[in-house]
Amino acid sequence: MFKKYLEILGKEIIYFLHLCGRIIYFIFDCCVLILNKRIRMPQVMTQVYELGVNAFAMVTIAALATGMVLAVQAAVVLNRFGATEYIAKLVSLSLVRELGPVLTSLIFIGKSGAKISAELGAMSANEQILATRALGIDPLDFLGLSRILACIIALPILVFWCEIIGIFGGMLITVLQENISVFSFLSQTIDSIRMVDFIGGMIKTIFFSILIGVVCCFKGFNTSGGSLGVGKFTTEAVALSSILVIVANFLLTKIIINIWG
Amino acid sequence: MIQIKNLIKYFDGKKVLDDINLNINTGQFFTLMGGSGQGKSVFLQHIIGLLKPDKGSIYIDGQDIVPLKEKNLLEIRRNFGYLFQEGALFDYMNIYDNLALPVREHTTKDDREISILIKKALEEVELSGIEQKFPSQLSVGMRKRVGLARAIILQPKLLLCDEPTSGLDPATGYAISCLILKLCRELKTTTIVVTHDVINFFDISDCIAIIHEGRIAAIGTKDEIRKSEDELIRRFVINHPI
Ligand SMILES: Nc1ncnc2c1ncn2[C@@H]1O[C@H](COP(=O)(O)OP(=O)(O)OP(=O)(O)O)[C@@H](O)[C@H]1O
Ligand SMILES: [Mg+2]
Repeated sequence: MFKKYLEILGKEIIYFLHLCGRIIYFIFDCCVLILNKRIRMPQVMTQVYELGVNAFAMVTIAALATGMVLAVQAAVVLNRFGATEYIAKLVSLSLVRELGPVLTSLIFIGKSGAKISAELGAMSANEQILATRALGIDPLDFLGLSRILACIIALPILVFWCEIIGIFGGMLITVLQENISVFSFLSQTIDSIRMVDFIGGMIKTIFFSILIGVVCCFKGFNTSGGSLGVGKFTTEAVALSSILVIVANFLLTKIIINIWG
Repeated sequence: MIQIKNLIKYFDGKKVLDDINLNINTGQFFTLMGGSGQGKSVFLQHIIGLLKPDKGSIYIDGQDIVPLKEKNLLEIRRNFGYLFQEGALFDYMNIYDNLALPVREHTTKDDREISILIKKALEEVELSGIEQKFPSQLSVGMRKRVGLARAIILQPKLLLCDEPTSGLDPATGYAISCLILKLCRELKTTTIVVTHDVINFFDISDCIAIIHEGRIAAIGTKDEIRKSEDELIRRFVINHPI
């Protein structure tokens, strides 16, 4: 009995290591292509537009609601200590340091990551990826790289937008509810955000964008098993990249804080 | 031009190709016939390295392509044309871009030359004037003919066709088989057709092989095949009025 579980565990671990190895190999291939200057700029721009627009509305709504709820909560908590003037700082720092990158990345995975994986998956399922290879064209170069690069361009823009809208949402609540003027909210916000906060958040964002692009493309290219397979591999891509983003967020935050303070 | 030795391929423990040995000469019109699910598509994909065999070697112009890396295979495949069973057109591109893709990727032709090539290729498959349509707006048979146009647009040295006439009406099927034959004869394109369309391809082939359960059950010219005493082959050939 115990032996059987051990066997299953072993198999899972080997499978996982094997997967990691293949993903690292995949990243290596991407790097080789970039170094060979095989970047198709028009396609990258189309993808940036498609992926960005795809997630734009949801990011906006989520950012607004999150900014507002942060302000509501901050008002209650800070009121207990008679420190309502810190609402602006709390809202903006939470957004820039933590919530902007993570929240936007998770929404981006659900909308754009799933789109990448499903599109490439459907193309694998009906022989289009095979046809690319038969025409002597590398599918990673032709279809994958532009999507990965588009993630790296689109996600930071969306995160920046999320931070602005979130702070705006927080300001809306604070001004209407707490008798703090727009001017003092904004000046507090600008005072409190240091370069470290912003850059730290962006470094995380770029790392997440690479993670999302690579995982979703990888899963898309490896889709097999018809339309059922497309569903299965897309779900796997979304689940895997979400959990990787959340775990990586902790590790990166710790590293950045240790290095930078 | 092509030599296949002891080719064996398993899928999930099942032997799909079982010790295949073949020689195909340059400029030859070679037809592989067989029923559904006998391994025809799998065989064809091996020839250009889209699938790797479990055992055996495939020599193209004297070079064994089995151990080659994908990078080198991509290079080699530029000289080949491959028609997929389902056409395999890119459904996010219109027909013009689908046909232009290999030309843009592998040659330095300008837009004017490309549009002339495309017009000519579409005329050959009797589909003029559909450049702006998308694959989803075409019928299965039309998609397949566009797939053939894409395969021949760069005048490949080796043309591989997976069921070029299935899903077509008899008249168009006949026209397509004539087109493939014409390319083979005029441009000396080595041609491998995989099909169960005995009517259109039996008489025009230089060499015919019949595949059954992953094995070559018979091989020879049409007369040799016709004379065969083997029950299986007689059934396959005689059931069709040749
Ligand atoms: N990717 C795959 N995974 C597992 N089995 C496969 C795969 N591709 C093909 N097979 C199996 O290989 C066998 C031969 O398939 P193949 O597609 O070559 O048939 P075919 O001769 O082309 O048939 P058809 O005329 O219907 O196209 C089938 O039994 C199929 O189940
Ligand atoms: Mg087939």
